[in-house]
Amino acid sequence: MIRFDSVSKRYPEGREALIDISFAVAAGEMLFVTGHSGAGKTTLLKLIALIERPSHGTLEVHGRSLARMKHREIPRLRRDLGMVFQDHRLLMDRSVADNVALPLVIAGVPHEERGQRVRGALEKVGLVGRGKDAPSSLSTGEQQRVGIARAIVARPALIIADEPTGNLDPQLSEEIMQLFVKLRETGCTILIASHDLPLLKRMKQRVLVLDHGHLIDDVPASQVA
Amino acid sequence: MNMQDAMAKPVRHSRMAMWRRQHAWCLRDSLRQLARRPLGTALTIAVMGSALALPLAFYLLLVNVQHLATALGDSQSVSVFLKQNVDARGANELAGTLRARSDVGAVTVRTPQQGLGELAAMQGFGDAIRSLPENPLPFALLVEPRAGTDRVQVAAMVRAVRAMPGVDLVQDNGQWRARLDALVALGRRVTLLLAVLLGTAAVLVIGNTVRLDIRSRADEIAVQQLIGASAAFVRRPYLYEGAWYGLAAGIVAVLLVLLLEAVLAVPVRDLVASYAGRLHFGGLPWVTLVIALAVAVALGWCGAWIASSRYLARLGNSG
Repeated sequence: MIRFDSVSKRYPEGREALIDISFAVAAGEMLFVTGHSGAGKTTLLKLIALIERPSHGTLEVHGRSLARMKHREIPRLRRDLGMVFQDHRLLMDRSVADNVALPLVIAGVPHEERGQRVRGALEKVGLVGRGKDAPSSLSTGEQQRVGIARAIVARPALIIADEPTGNLDPQLSEEIMQLFVKLRETGCTILIASHDLPLLKRMKQRVLVLDHGHLIDDVPASQVA
Repeated sequence: MNMQDAMAKPVRHSRMAMWRRQHAWCLRDSLRQLARRPLGTALTIAVMGSALALPLAFYLLLVNVQHLATALGDSQSVSVFLKQNVDARGANELAGTLRARSDVGAVTVRTPQQGLGELAAMQGFGDAIRSLPENPLPFALLVEPRAGTDRVQVAAMVRAVRAMPGVDLVQDNGQWRARLDALVALGRRVTLLLAVLLGTAAVLVIGNTVRLDIRSRADEIAVQQLIGASAAFVRRPYLYEGAWYGLAAGIVAVLLVLLLEAVLAVPVRDLVASYAGRLHFGGLPWVTLVIALAVAVALGWCGAWIASSRYLARLGNSG
């Protein structure tokens, strides 16, 4: 599903965000990327979504090499991804349903099917009946659920989430993580960047540990404690 | 299909159907954005509509000046008034002499009776003319230069005719007509220049409006791109927005010109009446108005395209 082979990322100003990273993620796997602030977690996710391009090495997603992917092919790659952001990135002037429907609009899904899929996604995140609400009327946790519903509505094979619980209290964080676990059970591959070590220990999933751009550990789920 | 089924199926549709649905959504979205700020939208449309109305009004004026020119006579004809003592035989002999010239195409002999009749009918002086004790008009010849004769050759022919015995007065109708034609050509050039300048202004007004709109929706564009929107998808609502502005402004411009026509109708009718119906004031044909609307839509689309393309190019996502 995802393969990093000696991938490095150096930003134009000279900062080395990732250095010689190699790992692979199988389809249907759920794993976390952790590390201190500035360790390279977000850069790693940005490379997968081609928000940034790797400076060196080979990076494959869905068997497609991203290093030389043409600019016009990037939207297609992103349509096959579900992305969850720490700050939700919801459109505050649209309803919850409109926010969730956006990936389907971009994919050109018919109106009736769009409505069914949006209701399905909201049901999965526990927000049935809130479709007409404005995002600003929701709590932070609910807004994050809307972000997750938007990420899963087009049924992507791969979901990447950047600190999805960063602004949430422990109880809400746990609920959001349980949502990801449920999604994984449907066959989704899930990659989550998080620095919340206690949460990671509770989740007992594979963990990649980054430190100053280096991958210093790849802990299998069985050894997370 | 229940909700679980709906969630389980991957999203794949034919490209044409996708394209059609994306356009429908973008079209609705563009209208929604315009409706969100009614005052700003109305002001932009008013400014652009006024700008587009000006060249249309000039064009209306030009069309009617051309009507006037057509009504006032043919371009190249030369009127030759003979002396009072020249009779019908003398007039016909002179006409024969003129017809033999290589620079003359046709000569028509107008009798004094014909001239008086036309004068009475054309100028509305019927009663006054009927009260004259005798016809004061001489025989006249209407000389049409041969096709392809230029102004210099016509002027030479006029000089030669003036020198002929029996000729009292030669009136070169082509001279004033040439001046009128030059004025109409100048008016046409001014109208074109005005249309280009104000059209450019309209493109800039809409471009700037759309640019501000894009800037205010930068976060939305960023989210769209992150979840897989192509540059074309991102640009599309703004192109529709520009086209809506153009259409609305075009309608305003057409309405303003129709209003102008209505306002001018009464004074122009009086003027026309004073010329005994020989002049004709006409509005712009509907084809011209439809073309004006289409041009306005194209200008709006163009302004939006420039603004959105520049923004996307800055993001490195044009194409």
